[in-house]
Amino acid sequence: MILFRYTKVDGAEYISHLDLFRQIDRTFRRAGIPVAMEGMGNHPKIFMNAPLGTGIQSLAEYCCADAAYDGDFIRIFNENAPKGVRCTAWTTVEKKVNLPVLIAWCDYRIEGLAHFDEEALLAEPEIVLTDKRDRVVEIRSKIHALYWDNGILCATLRSGNQTLRPDVLGEYLAARFGGKCGTIVKTTAKQEDMRELLK
Amino acid sequence: MQKIRFFSKKVDTLFTFRALYAIIGRKIEEVYAFLQEERTYSMKIDLNAMKDVLLSCEKPSRYTGGEFGSEEMPDSDLNFCMCLPDVYEVGMSNLGIKIVAKSLTDRGFCVDRCFAPWVDFGKALRENHIPLYSLQKKKPLAEFDMIGFSLQYELSYTNLLYMLDLAGIPLLRTERDEKYPVIVAGGPCTVNPEPMADFVDIFFIGDGEENDAEVAALYVKFKKGEIPDRHAFLEAAAKVPGVYVPALMEVEYNDDHTVRAFHGITHVKKAMIPDLDKAVYPDKLAVPNCEAVHDRVVIEVMRGCYRGCRFCQAGFIYRPVRPRGVDTLTKQACSLIRKTGYDEVSMNSLSTGDYPHLRELIRSLKAELPENVTLALPSLRVDSFDSEFAQDARRSSLTFAPEAGTQRLRDVINKDVTLEEILTAVGSAFDMGYYNVKLYFMLGLPTETDEDLLGIADIAKQISALYYSKKRKKQLRISISCATFIPKPFTPFQWERQASAEEIEHKQQVLREALRMRGVSLSWTDYFQAALEAMFARGDRRTGKVLLAAYKNGCIFDGWAECFSKEGWQNAFAETGVYPTEFTRAFAEEEILPWDFVDVLVTKEFYLRERRRAYQAKVTGSCMAGCKGCGIQREFTCHIPQNECPGAKKSGEETA
Repeated sequence: MILFRYTKVDGAEYISHLDLFRQIDRTFRRAGIPVAMEGMGNHPKIFMNAPLGTGIQSLAEYCCADAAYDGDFIRIFNENAPKGVRCTAWTTVEKKVNLPVLIAWCDYRIEGLAHFDEEALLAEPEIVLTDKRDRVVEIRSKIHALYWDNGILCATLRSGNQTLRPDVLGEYLAARFGGKCGTIVKTTAKQEDMRELLK
Repeated sequence: MQKIRFFSKKVDTLFTFRALYAIIGRKIEEVYAFLQEERTYSMKIDLNAMKDVLLSCEKPSRYTGGEFGSEEMPDSDLNFCMCLPDVYEVGMSNLGIKIVAKSLTDRGFCVDRCFAPWVDFGKALRENHIPLYSLQKKKPLAEFDMIGFSLQYELSYTNLLYMLDLAGIPLLRTERDEKYPVIVAGGPCTVNPEPMADFVDIFFIGDGEENDAEVAALYVKFKKGEIPDRHAFLEAAAKVPGVYVPALMEVEYNDDHTVRAFHGITHVKKAMIPDLDKAVYPDKLAVPNCEAVHDRVVIEVMRGCYRGCRFCQAGFIYRPVRPRGVDTLTKQACSLIRKTGYDEVSMNSLSTGDYPHLRELIRSLKAELPENVTLALPSLRVDSFDSEFAQDARRSSLTFAPEAGTQRLRDVINKDVTLEEILTAVGSAFDMGYYNVKLYFMLGLPTETDEDLLGIADIAKQISALYYSKKRKKQLRISISCATFIPKPFTPFQWERQASAEEIEHKQQVLREALRMRGVSLSWTDYFQAALEAMFARGDRRTGKVLLAAYKNGCIFDGWAECFSKEGWQNAFAETGVYPTEFTRAFAEEEILPWDFVDVLVTKEFYLRERRRAYQAKVTGSCMAGCKGCGIQREFTCHIPQNECPGAKKSGEETA
């Protein structure tokens, strides 16, 4: 199995999760790296991390493919991938990595928000908002950290099953404190084991 | 977001004041001239700045470019934007525009792409004053030297206006000066270019592999000053084979609006590439960001069709038949599969079952392509259906097009298939496990009666009886789809009238009654859209006024049911006084037809002879049984496979 990290930037952030799956499958085909197939529909055994919202850039997407390669995987992948999808690290693993479960937290940088006291916000016992599906949700428990870096808000948010979308948070903060939720970049997927894997 | 300076009708207010300040005291004409000059500022759309616009729309990856296999080319002597006036998923599936792009890039020209933005994105572009831009360079369309549109079907015409408008380019060619790009158009619809003559500067009629690049080279000369002005450039372009320049032809009409005469350049012969093995073909394809209509490698196994079905425009305008060689096709398929990562190869043509070396080609592809690549065979005729071919398609449903319900009517339209052949083909499909059958028919064919419609129901009953004559695991499903017949130019039926709405409604009612059977579904196309299609397929220059009025009434994406505005069109008819009935009527054989100045190499005498034979219900059969003297033979030695073709039958009793 090949486990690799890749980017989703430079326009690729607008490719939907399902379309990205097809793009990665085709990247492997173009690269001449066969991926094992499974199921009635003969689907390639490619496993991706939890879907990233359309329009959110990422420097830390992860994917696991049932394939083997002993050459320069980064070079061959990047030569065959669409613009903005670039492999930045890879390794081989013995069995499938359940990425949506393994990646529990992610770091994001959210541009364009007006400055506010993040510590005061984090001190609030609960933060309630209406999400994109018009559901009222409590999000405080899904925020691990908030801090400012040169006017850009850095946030560590829950990923996987209890995910908090950074654009949902960004829009909430813009509505409450001002500014505008601009470019969002996912910078890291936080899981110690994986960092170890892709050191 | 960067303020966009764009100066056609939508002049940015702030910038206008700045401009006025800069040259205060001058005449308004000078102000306008200044603004026009400023238009030459080169500008690139910033996707990051457009984030909100993109996210407000469905499928934003349609508008971001960056596909694998597409490349951002540096500017060249000629910068060309290839457009298809339909959505990204349709445009990215089109082979023709890829061939044209390749022929231009091979000559060192910069080629980019653009498709019609869906209504949500179009609205967002307008609201944010962002001009329509190309996908690779993210450059406003107005900054290109030449914009080429592929006209694939008549109901996409308003989208050409929509794209020009979004680009800030005046719609009428008479309102565009040298600062605007030259608007060119190609594709099958250009055999009757007249409805678009007010909007397009240059039409390419016929094969586009060579003449587009020749015109591009002339444009470079014009740009470098070697050709003095735009008019001289258009005159030079008009001398290139297959090129029609509407500015160089005038049409004189009679009082009853029929054509009295053409003046100026009155004869345009289509361009034709004699040997497709030597013709340009894309060696790589841009792989779409989102799932396209045809998400696979397409190889064009041959151009043209041997059959000569009397309703089929493509069967006449793409003559003569020119098959590609097995080696060429195998190389193209292998190269494209390797470079795209697709897992399917589609062998396209008007009638792939008639490709003379089909078995050899399938064997060759199976031997050379990776194991997991499947082969698809669209456009198989019932009489060329072969279990060996069908198995390669790996589908649960098969589609056949008998087109008419009785043998008499099939003979009228020269659809040379029998009920027995239909049942044999369907029977072998059932034995292979197929249980879905789609059947295509046409309503309103010349000489059609209720008996012919009942024949459709009879075919469905016989297919059903055949299926249930053996024990099968699944229930049979038959989908019958009925399109309204459109008498198209350059067919033996070009003089026929289109059936009226009432007649078609009656025919649909007869069918509904007759087809109340288990497992059979019936669908049909909307009559109003079919009448519009007839209007613009057979239209003259006056129909351009209707197009413009309809566009101003909000009509775009007319081929899409969810966007179609019947009211917008009805208002356009009332505003212009031009109605579809003027073009759905029967044309007299002696009248000059609006498209008579175009020569697709098939003679009018042949069409007339075929028309007579249609009324006598005489089958002419296919070219495979011998030359029928359509006119092509005057200029080209046709490839007639005779016995080498699996679909060849000795049915044509007459040779010219």
